[in-house]
Amino acid sequence: MKEAVFTFFSLFTLLTAAGVILSRNIIYSAFNLVLCFFGLASLYLLWGATFLSMIQILIYAGAIVVLFVFVVMLLNFEKPTEQKTRFSIIVLSSAGVWTLALILLRVLSKSLGEIPSLETPAKASVRTISKLLFSQYLWPFEVLTVFLLALIVGIFVLARPEKEETP
Amino acid sequence: MTLIDFIIAALKAIVILVAVIQVVPVMIYVERKVAALIQDRPGPNRVGPFGLLQPVADALKFLLKEDPIPHYTNRLLYTLAPFLSLIPACLVIAALPIADKAVLFGREITIQIADLDVSLIYVLAIGSLGVYGILFGGWASNNKFSLIGSLRSASQMVSYELPLGLAAVGAVMVFGTFSLREMVIQQEGTLLGILPNWGVFYQPIGFLIFLVASFAETNRLPFDLPESEAELVAGFHTEYGSMKFATFFMAEYMNLATMSGLMTVIYFGGWHLPWVSDAKLLEILGSQNLLCIIQVATYIFKVSVFMFLYVLIRWTLPRFRFDQLLTLSWGSLIPIGLINIVVSAVLMYVLGGK
Repeated sequence: MKEAVFTFFSLFTLLTAAGVILSRNIIYSAFNLVLCFFGLASLYLLWGATFLSMIQILIYAGAIVVLFVFVVMLLNFEKPTEQKTRFSIIVLSSAGVWTLALILLRVLSKSLGEIPSLETPAKASVRTISKLLFSQYLWPFEVLTVFLLALIVGIFVLARPEKEETP
Repeated sequence: MTLIDFIIAALKAIVILVAVIQVVPVMIYVERKVAALIQDRPGPNRVGPFGLLQPVADALKFLLKEDPIPHYTNRLLYTLAPFLSLIPACLVIAALPIADKAVLFGREITIQIADLDVSLIYVLAIGSLGVYGILFGGWASNNKFSLIGSLRSASQMVSYELPLGLAAVGAVMVFGTFSLREMVIQQEGTLLGILPNWGVFYQPIGFLIFLVASFAETNRLPFDLPESEAELVAGFHTEYGSMKFATFFMAEYMNLATMSGLMTVIYFGGWHLPWVSDAKLLEILGSQNLLCIIQVATYIFKVSVFMFLYVLIRWTLPRFRFDQLLTLSWGSLIPIGLINIVVSAVLMYVLGGK
């Protein structure tokens, strides 16, 4: 029973993830992304990690994709503009993809031996997560938050309209 | 889970959902009557005694009307959008604890569809998805006014989810749990001997923030900028007619019911009568089922008070301007919410416990 549900939601997540990339219309992509996050949240739920699954929906589906859709609608990307793909773009983006692939490969190969089974529920209650976050992973957590804050400040500085000099 | 448990869960879901949907016709009537009262006119009085059958007439009109899909819209999303806003509104109800428990055929049945250990986050998470109906609906309508309504809705929802969450954090700190059921159980008894032991007395500022933010989350006046008919024709649902429009309307009233329910549960003691403990009531009544009925009635009464407040405010306050709306959230509600968290934390540390 559990395996059937797991298979269904895994396929659902993969299909909608493919839909994100393959949709011609960017609004459909965003819609697929929401569904994909729902698939992920269901997988977490199946594994017993209720908190994680709810946070997944609250943060990603509830706030981040809303902002994506907001920007898409504001800028009206409805018709894809034909752009000349420059050589530098190809080099940079492929470098990014390969770095990500290497990181993923490293993480996956390390944790491949210890794939959690569906039968053993995750120890992911609010209490456990917050305890880990504020003891063992305190430093990574703080560094990450400062990094995000720096990003926000950086974007603000970049996007701020330049002050017009008043005569 | 055995078959009988499954059947009980399914029946519970159906009964509670159908019961909550009844909010819609009642609210249509109350809204129109109160509007008339405030504007000093009779209001609906043609259909049935005191116009009580007006909602039935409205529903019949919506059902019997032609259901057109304008040719310039995106058919798929245009049809999907009303349901995208109704479905989250229905899903949220699953986590609200309406009463303690009833005993039927020797089985204890909790009057709550699903008792999650993170039900507060569940309500906030699923509740925040209703915006997709408005967003996609406005976009698919292919109409400038609808699109502007959608854009407003998106930024409004994201801005007001934060104060809502911050206010809820205060309550979570006081009760030490994310479970709404657990919160209600903790609110039994009295505080300092005179006040009911309700969350609002622990988190008065949190409650005010929550109340204001809930108006924005449900798109009610004075924050109904996504539809503001004076500027945007009818906002995101300009192109919608007949039953599709009614579906948006149903979603709005269901959201109102859940927000009122959430405030009742977190800040006003849920199913508890003030000053009387459940054990004492059980002693007087002598039956768990009678107690359960009293609890349901208490819950419904508290929720109706909030719904009435929503209606009253809708017809008394003028609409905000959009920049005022955003400044209110980012400039005052969020800082006050953060200060509230810090102050509660310090107070809880000094006083020890609650």
